[in-house]
Amino acid sequence: MKLYCLSGHPTLPCNVLKFKSTTIMLDCGLDTTSVLNFLPLPLVHSPRLSKLPGWISKDGSINLEKELKECAGRVFVDSQPEFCLPERELLDLSTIDVILISNYHCMMALPYITEHTGFTGTVYATEPTLQIGRLLMEELVNFMERVPKAQSATCWKNKEIQRMLPGPLKDAVDVWTWKRCYSMQEVNSALSKVQLVGYSQKVELFGAVQVSPLSSGYSLGSSNWIIQSHHEKVSYVSGSSLLTTHPQPMDQSSLKNSDVLILTGLTQMPTANPDGMLGEFCSNLAMTIRAGGNVLVPCYSSGVIYDLLECLYQFIESANLGTTPFYFISPVANSSLEFSQIFAEWLCHNKQTKVYLPEPPFPHAELIQTNKLKHYPSIHGDFSSEFRQPCVVFTGHPSLRFGDVVHFMELWGKSSLNTVIFTEPDFSYLDALAPYQPLAMKCVYCPIDTRLNFHQVSKLLKEVQPLHVVCPEQYTQPPLTQSHRSDLMLELQPPPMPYRRCSVLNLPFRRRYERVYILPELANSLVPSEVKPGVSVATVSAVLQSKDNKHTLQSVPKAPPVAPSKKRKRVMEEPPVTMAPKPLLSGAVPLEAFLATLQKHGITEVKVEETADGHILHLQAEDTLIQLEEDGTHIVCDNNEPLRATLRDLVLRFLQKL
Amino acid sequence: MDSQCVSTLPRVCGVLLESGSSLPDDTSLEKLLDWFTTIAQTGASLLEACPCLVDFVSKVAFNHASGSSILSFTLKLTGLIGTSEDGFKVLKECSVLKLVFNPHHWQEAGLWGDPCLRIGWIQGLKMILQHSEALSFFAQEDLIEPLLQLQTDSSLFVASAANQTLAQVLLLCQSLSSVGHNCSKNRYLEHNSVSIETTQNYSGIITRVSEYLNKSVVLKEISQLPGCQQILRLLAMLLVQVGPPLRDTLLLAVMNSLEELVTTSCSQLTVPLMDVILAANSGLRDDFVPKQRLIRLLWVMLNMKKPAIVMQAAAAVLHSHHSDPTFSAHSARVLLLPLDIVTGVSLLDENSTEEELRILITEQLKRKSCISMICVCLSNIPQITLMASDHLPCPQRLIVTAVLMLLRLCCVDSSSSSAGCVEVVRFITGNSKVQKCALEALLVLSKSPGVKMVLVDVFKVLTEYLNSPSSDPSVLQKSYQAVIKWVGVCPDLSCITDQLREGFIQAVRKRACDTRWEARDSTVEFLGHLGGAPSCRSFTEQETEPSDVFLGGCSFTVPLLKEALQDPESYVRASSISALAQTLTPSWQEGAALTQEQEDIVTRLQEVLFQDSEGFARRAAVKYFIAWLSACSSPSSCWLLMQSVPTVLSQGVNDLDWEVKLHTLELAELLLDQAFPDPSPSHPYAVMSDQAHRLHIAGQQSDLLSSLKDLVDRGVVSALLCGVVDCDRPVALKACQLLLKLRGVVCPVMGNAADTRVFCQLAEGSVMQQVRKIQAMGKDTYVVSEACSEADKEGICASVDPERVGVCEVLRLLDLDEKLSILTQSSDHIYNSPLSLLQDILTAAAASSQPGRDLHQELVMDCY
Repeated sequence: MKLYCLSGHPTLPCNVLKFKSTTIMLDCGLDTTSVLNFLPLPLVHSPRLSKLPGWISKDGSINLEKELKECAGRVFVDSQPEFCLPERELLDLSTIDVILISNYHCMMALPYITEHTGFTGTVYATEPTLQIGRLLMEELVNFMERVPKAQSATCWKNKEIQRMLPGPLKDAVDVWTWKRCYSMQEVNSALSKVQLVGYSQKVELFGAVQVSPLSSGYSLGSSNWIIQSHHEKVSYVSGSSLLTTHPQPMDQSSLKNSDVLILTGLTQMPTANPDGMLGEFCSNLAMTIRAGGNVLVPCYSSGVIYDLLECLYQFIESANLGTTPFYFISPVANSSLEFSQIFAEWLCHNKQTKVYLPEPPFPHAELIQTNKLKHYPSIHGDFSSEFRQPCVVFTGHPSLRFGDVVHFMELWGKSSLNTVIFTEPDFSYLDALAPYQPLAMKCVYCPIDTRLNFHQVSKLLKEVQPLHVVCPEQYTQPPLTQSHRSDLMLELQPPPMPYRRCSVLNLPFRRRYERVYILPELANSLVPSEVKPGVSVATVSAVLQSKDNKHTLQSVPKAPPVAPSKKRKRVMEEPPVTMAPKPLLSGAVPLEAFLATLQKHGITEVKVEETADGHILHLQAEDTLIQLEEDGTHIVCDNNEPLRATLRDLVLRFLQKL
Repeated sequence: MDSQCVSTLPRVCGVLLESGSSLPDDTSLEKLLDWFTTIAQTGASLLEACPCLVDFVSKVAFNHASGSSILSFTLKLTGLIGTSEDGFKVLKECSVLKLVFNPHHWQEAGLWGDPCLRIGWIQGLKMILQHSEALSFFAQEDLIEPLLQLQTDSSLFVASAANQTLAQVLLLCQSLSSVGHNCSKNRYLEHNSVSIETTQNYSGIITRVSEYLNKSVVLKEISQLPGCQQILRLLAMLLVQVGPPLRDTLLLAVMNSLEELVTTSCSQLTVPLMDVILAANSGLRDDFVPKQRLIRLLWVMLNMKKPAIVMQAAAAVLHSHHSDPTFSAHSARVLLLPLDIVTGVSLLDENSTEEELRILITEQLKRKSCISMICVCLSNIPQITLMASDHLPCPQRLIVTAVLMLLRLCCVDSSSSSAGCVEVVRFITGNSKVQKCALEALLVLSKSPGVKMVLVDVFKVLTEYLNSPSSDPSVLQKSYQAVIKWVGVCPDLSCITDQLREGFIQAVRKRACDTRWEARDSTVEFLGHLGGAPSCRSFTEQETEPSDVFLGGCSFTVPLLKEALQDPESYVRASSISALAQTLTPSWQEGAALTQEQEDIVTRLQEVLFQDSEGFARRAAVKYFIAWLSACSSPSSCWLLMQSVPTVLSQGVNDLDWEVKLHTLELAELLLDQAFPDPSPSHPYAVMSDQAHRLHIAGQQSDLLSSLKDLVDRGVVSALLCGVVDCDRPVALKACQLLLKLRGVVCPVMGNAADTRVFCQLAEGSVMQQVRKIQAMGKDTYVVSEACSEADKEGICASVDPERVGVCEVLRLLDLDEKLSILTQSSDHIYNSPLSLLQDILTAAAASSQPGRDLHQELVMDCY
């Protein structure tokens, strides 16, 4: 069993598992942090951005004025943002049989994998994962296509030039593999390969393995996967949460007894407690509004935003924010809010019961009804006429490089009354803010990451007891900034197997058994004999047929009756004389009783010698040795066949025959 | 005693005898006993007052049919009767005493197993053990045996009562033997014989107790642990209470056992064992042999191989204020060790004797149990700071540094790493228990000398805590308290930099918007406390307010608090009102001009008073006006205050919440005091001419008249008249007291002349009716005539308005003294009288013994 690691990102994994002749890709996350190296794409012409000076190396030898712009001491690529894809050279992507998706954040690279690679397999995902994943992809494409850039910067990627560049650009790896965003057509084509599955539904893959999604409690429809054959079980744990938020709670018990557990998607903020962060979010929001400022929340259009809105629903009354407008701006805002209300079966118990009342499971419906929350596809159109300040705006993209958020950053960045509150943990907020410097606006970082923390995961692993754990190497040491926190890492016995991008791991686990079926008629012919109470054995002669990874024992086809041939062509054609199979023997020879029997048969002079494995009986008169051992009996006598036969029969008396 | 009670008591005794165990209300027996105790305590003879009791006691003693509660009651009652020597004699003569206090008697009746009876026996016994007669009886009957057996009774109540009784026995032995000793020298021979016999009794008892203690202070197996703990507690109690010769005897008796017990190093015994050792150690002469052995024991305890025991022992030494400084110094070192190890701040110099303990504690700190160890260390810092500086292992300033370091390590957001034990960080990070203990310690350490150098660090750490999203509300509260405390001890806040201040302001502002009401409440409270903190001196020698230094003064605080007046949580609203009062007090004292903001606040407070659904906020609103009125240098010149007072009074006194009403009356009292200040005591022998006297009276009259008119105009009098008929007793009482005060000032000076008549408008008809009702109950019925239109004749009702009353007349005619005496009694005084109790018992017994009563019917009645 091998694991190919195509992404080193711990929360945006992309691994391929080769197991029992199947090739299974586990998630295909897209690392979007590469976009932080690019200039923001403004929706409205930004004089500030357009006036940024181009970059020329200090000695003037390299002039990339057109491609690179300088802002507050950092250099950005002025081009359509590009993403860092999962590794595509490590193995032939066309050989992948299936892709298992665990949540909508971990499928954003799907079009890069399934399109133009010769991929012919199937993608499995739950319905909310597919639908919300589609929304996120649609949004991403929309953000990019809305602001087309004519030029595409490539010169800076030249190895010689990149080496000379300042700051983070110089250290960016594999920049040649970075790709621009896919098109809507590619998205549709990729998603057409998705087959929907429900929690605990078992899907057979070529008869070799069975895969099954389990609720992981992280987001709507998010799942962990069990990949098992009859005798082996691999668990794949991706973004999971034990907190009580909107999704169905995590199914932990089904992960028990795994041979290998692949662990990814732990919290990126191990020291930030989501509850504390939520409180921080609310108090900073209230503080800004009270002082007459606006609040900008860069966020994804699905996920934590539902919890944020729910929390605000309770908070706005108590904080006297009843009259403050809340805006949610995204090309898919409407769909996201509506979708969340219809996936009742994927929600936590509390929300499910609301549906039967009937009430919308999420309170944002009421916020919309009472006009406290308004949603718009973009800042153009209705929004511009209804926009009132001070207000709270939720909009994407959290990287601050594209989407409507760019406009608000430009609009509000100059006033210290306004606040930008980062809630998504995927991007470093300082890097995200870099092209907006100098910035007067207040910045608050309250990353809300509900995924498992190290404390929870060690408790979980103690409970489910996997034999081996495989995890990204980041989880095997404390974070760089908090090297003294030995509790912020996985401490397991045996130690977990770490992986990084491009690793190929041989999973330490040998297949020892296969399940073999026996046909009924063959089974009928068996004659079991009991060797000890409750255990019977029988001999079987059969033909083993292996097809579609299934093994079956069939009766031996009877030799066709030999047609009386007139001519004997060859002696060899004669069917071999089938001798009746010798019975199988079992049991042990009791020494005392055996000696007594020997005596009865006139053998009296026996010298018994004890050995490590049993006894050696020396029949002195007959000059014969009998070695009685645990797994064999030997009679050594020279040229006295009758004696040997007699002795053999005496031994056989004590053994059971099948 | 009430004659009715005397006549009812025999019947009650009869009922108790008959009722067996079926007494409906078992608290009535307790109440009865309380009543008898009160009689006995007044010095009267219980038997003389209630002669039927002896008969009752003897009947119960011979009749086993009574229930255990009656038996227990009887045993206690016997004890109570036997407390006096006379009573004891009577009981002895009728041979009740022997029977009642004979455990075999109860054992044979199969009743001894009931803890209720055993506790009655012990408490009865304890009560009689007041005189030598009783002690002789105790010795003759050999009651020491059963008493010792009960020391480790399975019932904790019994065991504890038995412990106390044993102490009582020993104390009595001690006091009598000293008296006997003195007597034998001075008195006649015939007394000597008694004295010798008694002394023999005493020594016998003491020997038995000593043997018992020596035998019981053992721990051979774990099942003996509870018993051993109980005996150690008893021993500690005895050693504290008894005096020298007896004390030494007991100590010598148990010394060997104690030494053996210490070697078991059982952690559950540490605390009681230390209590015994320390109790024994205090006040012993140095040359007394066991003293050296005790000191050795103390050293053994402080040098055990188990860190938890050593820490507990050290804490016990510090708490006992042990006189030997070597011990306290060593204990302080032991207790500071975990802090030293965790933080890496070297509080202790290298000391080879502690090296082993350091290794043990370091190991312990790598486990989860480190939390309790660190908390023990921190909670003992107050004791350590009390020590003389030359006995401290390090300057207190270093301890502050270490505590600050610990606080940094505990803070989730901090990336500080210590030079100390790294493994401990995982357990203490974000642990609010450790955080709270450390903040508590920091509070105490604010008084340490030389802490000015760490002041900035302290405020940095506290700001970090106030800012941290993961701080628990209780941690936030403690942090705020620490800020206030440190501000209080700081002579100079010049070290507070702008950056620090800005961070602090941000944190406070954020907490005022916290989602948890507890955090908002603490913030608001803090703002109030900071506003009320005494001013300090800056480096320019100018007086500055701490709130100015930290928060930029009222311009920051007041808007924040005004916002909090709208808080959905009533506690926060209440706290913000109090905080506003605290913050504005200085400006009121200075008589500063009112701002628009203050006017807004008053409007809002009136809204609170009228509309707020919660009592807390309304109470705080009334208190705000009290604070304003008391702080205001010249209230009459503050138009807003004077304008608001009538509204507050009329609304407050009609509130649903009795505390709001009471506070309103306090406001009225303040106005009353300001209107009629205590006259400056004139010279008692000053001679005043007749004319001057008349002029004086006339002057007084006109002053009073105008003051009274003022009070009426401000609604004080109507508030008081409203309050006096209030259904809540404390309100009515307060109003009554104030009206009496008013009457005392006004009525002697003011005549009935028409020109001195002041009328008061009563707001509501119902109140008026009640006032009239009171008047109607008075003797002068003519004044209440509804149709009375001749105001000049009686002066109660004004001619034009039937709801107007003449103040002086009402004050005179209302029987305020009578009302005061009624109100002073507790509202249940009738139901709690002994007679009522006796009647209750009789009625309950009659109801339960009624033949043919329908149980079902009773049940239905109960349901209704």
